[in-house]
Amino acid sequence: MQTFHSIGTTADWVVMVIYFVAIMLFGSYFGRYTKTTTDFFFGGRRFSWWLITMSIVATGVGSHSFVKYSAKGFEHGISSSMTYLNDWFFVPFFMFGWLPIIVYSKIRSIPEYFEKRFSPSARFLATILLLLYMIGYIGIGFLTLGKAVIPMLPQAFTLLGATFPITLMGAIIVIAVITGIYITFGGQTAVIFTDLLQGFVLLFAGLLLFFFGVTYLGGFDIFWNLLPTEWKLPLADFNQPSNFNFVGIFWQDAIAGSIGFLFMNQGLIMRFMACKNVNEGRKAAAVNILFVLPISAIVVGNAGWVGKAISVASPEIVSPTVSPDQIFVVVANIISSPGVFGFIMAALTAALMSTVDTLINATAAIFINDVYRPVQQFFKRNQGTNAETDKRELGAARYASIAITTLGVLAVLAFKNFPTVYEAHGYFHSTLTPPLVVGIFLGVFWKRFTPAAVITTFVGGVALMILGARYPGILIAPFDHGIEMNPSHPYSYIRALYNTLVCSGVAVLTALTTKWQASLISYLRSRANGKPIMNGLVVATVLLFGFVLFNVGGIIFQVIAATGVLLLVPLAVTYFVHYDEEKHTNGLIANSIDIARKFFKGGDPNDIEGETVLVQWEEKGSSDTEIFFSEHDMKIMKANLGDLVYLSDKRKWFGGLKSIHSVFGKPHNEVGKVYLSKELARHGLFVKDRILEAEKEM
Amino acid sequence: MDYFSHSWLPFIYLYGFGGILFVSGIIITLKAGSFDLKRFAHKKWMWVLLFGFVWYIMLHALMTWAALGTISPNIVPIIMMALLVVFVVVNYILKQKARA
Repeated sequence: MQTFHSIGTTADWVVMVIYFVAIMLFGSYFGRYTKTTTDFFFGGRRFSWWLITMSIVATGVGSHSFVKYSAKGFEHGISSSMTYLNDWFFVPFFMFGWLPIIVYSKIRSIPEYFEKRFSPSARFLATILLLLYMIGYIGIGFLTLGKAVIPMLPQAFTLLGATFPITLMGAIIVIAVITGIYITFGGQTAVIFTDLLQGFVLLFAGLLLFFFGVTYLGGFDIFWNLLPTEWKLPLADFNQPSNFNFVGIFWQDAIAGSIGFLFMNQGLIMRFMACKNVNEGRKAAAVNILFVLPISAIVVGNAGWVGKAISVASPEIVSPTVSPDQIFVVVANIISSPGVFGFIMAALTAALMSTVDTLINATAAIFINDVYRPVQQFFKRNQGTNAETDKRELGAARYASIAITTLGVLAVLAFKNFPTVYEAHGYFHSTLTPPLVVGIFLGVFWKRFTPAAVITTFVGGVALMILGARYPGILIAPFDHGIEMNPSHPYSYIRALYNTLVCSGVAVLTALTTKWQASLISYLRSRANGKPIMNGLVVATVLLFGFVLFNVGGIIFQVIAATGVLLLVPLAVTYFVHYDEEKHTNGLIANSIDIARKFFKGGDPNDIEGETVLVQWEEKGSSDTEIFFSEHDMKIMKANLGDLVYLSDKRKWFGGLKSIHSVFGKPHNEVGKVYLSKELARHGLFVKDRILEAEKEM
Repeated sequence: MDYFSHSWLPFIYLYGFGGILFVSGIIITLKAGSFDLKRFAHKKWMWVLLFGFVWYIMLHALMTWAALGTISPNIVPIIMMALLVVFVVVNYILKQKARA
């Protein structure tokens, strides 16, 4: 396979450095708006849909990456776009299930949902799985970044007479240091605004590259006619080859990946939580999936398609044997002039950095919320004022970001031996997402889903997944839809079907047998030696799981051990975990969203649709919870005392940066005027004499 | 050459399975009450959801026909733009209706 080094000119490097400095200054500027942990992680829940949509572009495009889709575009053509065009199926579940629940229940992380909905032990296991998922995702991001910049770097450099080779890991470490800087000091507001800028740059750079490519080839018709028919089709062949087939990718990406991305990608969830309300979140999701993703599919894959066309027309310019992961850089260098190539590369690497930054910020949020705070509470260290606690947590969040960046670099070692980033990512998604995806999905939509069922899904489901990974020819083969098994990376994609099925099966069976578990446990409780028996069963469960994990015995022994785990875990959970179905589902499942809205507001929601009003603001009073409008303005907004209100700068292009959420206080008689405290005005970043727009929320 | 396993078979599988999931999502959220068609705002969302499904079916079908040479590839963006215009116009009408 042909590989490249030292692609690009000095002009390209100058453009890249300027771009990066500009982006970092831009991020740092918005970093000054980070004052609390809520700002650091959620941007203060204030932004408009369009701002979030564009900031998601950089995250989504970056995470799926120019590198991996160009590689698949070069190998298989336009079907590289299919993973961008299959996310609509779960949108109803997301818009009217998960999104309102996460906003109205005021959870700060996905594991926190597991505690509220199930139990602290479910939260503990979800935290472990989610941290593995997020750190693995960061590792994939760093690997892609490394593969993107390596072709631009020389094979070695000389310093003080000694020659040092430039390795993939070396490049990744340097990138990680740069990446860590502004996320550590900026936070979510910095990330959102940096991503907003980069979202535009990214789409522009990708479309520019397509334009250059088509022009280079002599026009769209020539480009189109150079591609063989298989390369033009939008979906891959049903079940071949093993490294890129439709049915495997459907289960890995359209099912596990889409739910994983929409429901458990903490980075994306935090973007939606940064929206000013649920409806704005829905708009952001709809516009992004419907219109931005198809454009993004062209943006990320076109270098591969153009590369294929060039390799057909002029194989001496682009050899068909070019390393697929390098094709983006190779094609960009051929079809663009010096400086422009630097700009495109800067946009690519900056987009990837956006993804990694978002993930680091999100993982830090999980760490603070699900590890740091519970540990502090356990050791009773939460003394001092709220402001002091917040300051301490903000510091911890920044240190956590540094540690997570380091772990992300180490995670690269697990993925760097896959032939392409695409396969590494596919394998990773198929393997890690199913247990959490099933847990969240059934938790949200099925009231009878119990802590015993979710914990058995996490433990027993993982045991069966381990067996599938160890014996793919026996366990995954029945689901392979005719896909040939590649012995070095067996069933990279279709394993998602097996993993999702075993996790769902375990979840449903355990939930449906809840009554049997309960009667067995009440019998054990009635016996004097019930507790020692249960303690013994817990030890047996750990041993059986250990047999599966550490590959003790043959397949039959391990299947028996896994079955033992599946039988014993629900009993142990039912015995030790106290669960009140009403308490743990109120406001936390799809059919109790009205209750969630009530909790969110602290009273009955007011759904009468009113109009927005423009007001002048003035500092008055010291209430940090209420703001005061005239009776006339409240009538226009159809608002009552105690309703929630959103107040923002009238200038729409701020996208909600200058805004606050508050509560309607006792009205006065000065029409067109709102009174608020100094602290609220400071938090809203309101400018004196600027008109504000107010709307009743609920 | 027969491209069925590379064109319409994956298309049928995608929108067959995907369609079942999509419709299930709508039914489950409606039954749960979190998606409530008595609210005008949610009615608008129903339109967006159904439009989105048709939008993607059309996109994949047109791209497949273009790849197989049944239609010119230049027609694909024209039809998709026409669909987009329909989407914008209907949304505008619904917005006006809500205000009225």
